Amino acid sequence: MSGEEEENAAELKIGDEFLKAKCLMNCEVALILEHKYEQLQQMSDDAANHVSQVFEKSQQYVKRFSRYKNPDAVRQVREILSRYQLAEFELCVLGNLCPETVEEAIAMVPSIKTKGRAHDDEAIEKMLNDLSLIKKFE
Amino acid sequence: MFLKVQLPWNVIIPAENLDAKGLLLQRSIIIRLLEDFAARKATKDLGYYLAVTTLESIGEGRVRQQTGDVMFPVVFSGITFKLYRGEILEGVVHKVLKHGVFLRCGPVENIYLSHLKMPGYSYMPGENPMFNDKVSRIEKDIVVRFIVIGTKWLEAEREFQALVSLEGHYLGPVS
Repeated sequence: MSGEEEENAAELKIGDEFLKAKCLMNCEVALILEHKYEQLQQMSDDAANHVSQVFEKSQQYVKRFSRYKNPDAVRQVREILSRYQLAEFELCVLGNLCPETVEEAIAMVPSIKTKGRAHDDEAIEKMLNDLSLIKKFE
Repeated sequence: MFLKVQLPWNVIIPAENLDAKGLLLQRSIIIRLLEDFAARKATKDLGYYLAVTTLESIGEGRVRQQTGDVMFPVVFSGITFKLYRGEILEGVVHKVLKHGVFLRCGPVENIYLSHLKMPGYSYMPGENPMFNDKVSRIEKDIVVRFIVIGTKWLEAEREFQALVSLEGHYLGPVS
C-alpha cells in the first residue's frame, strides 16, 4: 500500500520528516493536550466545541494509553531512557508499550538489537528495571 | 507515533481585520492560525494535525495586491500523529466484521486487521460477534497490540488507512 517501499520502522527506516521532528510518548502528549484544553477553557466557556475531532480522538486515546500519569514520572521516563543511546522513535515505543522482559522489548523494537549497537541483554534488562521502578513509585 | 514538528505557515488576515494596535493583530494571527490548522486535518507527510503548541515567530506582513489582505509568514510548533510501516502500537476494536476487525488508534479510525493476519483466530457470529482462539478473544472494545504492515493516504478525505497484523511475537489482545 505504501508508496515508499523503503519505510520500515522495525529497522528504523523512517522518512526524512523524522530527522526534523521529535517523537513524543503518549503520556507526554496527554499532558500537552490537557494543558491546551485548559487554556481553551479559560478563553471560552464552550471549549469542547472549539477543539477539532482529531484533537478529541487523540486526547481520548492518550488518556487511555498513558502508562505514566504524574508529570514528574513522565519526565523521569524520558530522562532514564535517554541514557541508553536510543533513537527518539525507539525511546517512545518503549515508553508507550512498557515491555516487561528483554525478549518482549526486542520484539517491540527490533532495531535495538541490530549490528553495531551497544545493547546487550544486560543493558536492556537494566533499562526495563529502571522503568518499572518509576511505575512502582508513581 | 506522535511527532513534535516545527512548521512554517502563511497566515492571511483580511483587510477588515487589520488593526493599528499590535496586540490585537497578534491575536488575530493566532486565532487564524489555529482555525487554519484545525481545518487542515492531516497531510500525507506529517500525518494528522493535533494541536499548535507554540508560535515561534511572526514575520513581516506583505500586502496582497488584489485584495488588500495581509499575509504573515509564521513559524510554529505543533503535534502530529503518523502511522509508520513496521511500527507496533495498541488500538481499540470498534467494529467486528466477518473478514476482520476495524481498530481505532489515536485519531485514526480506519485500521483494518484482516482475519488472514490473525493466525489461530476464528470468527464466531452472534449478537456480539468476535474472533477467538483457545485463550483469548478479539471483540468490540478490546485493546489489541498490532504491527502496521501498510498505510495509504486518501487525498480526497484527508485521511489515512492502515493495514495491520498480529503476526509476530507479543502481538494480540491485551488484557
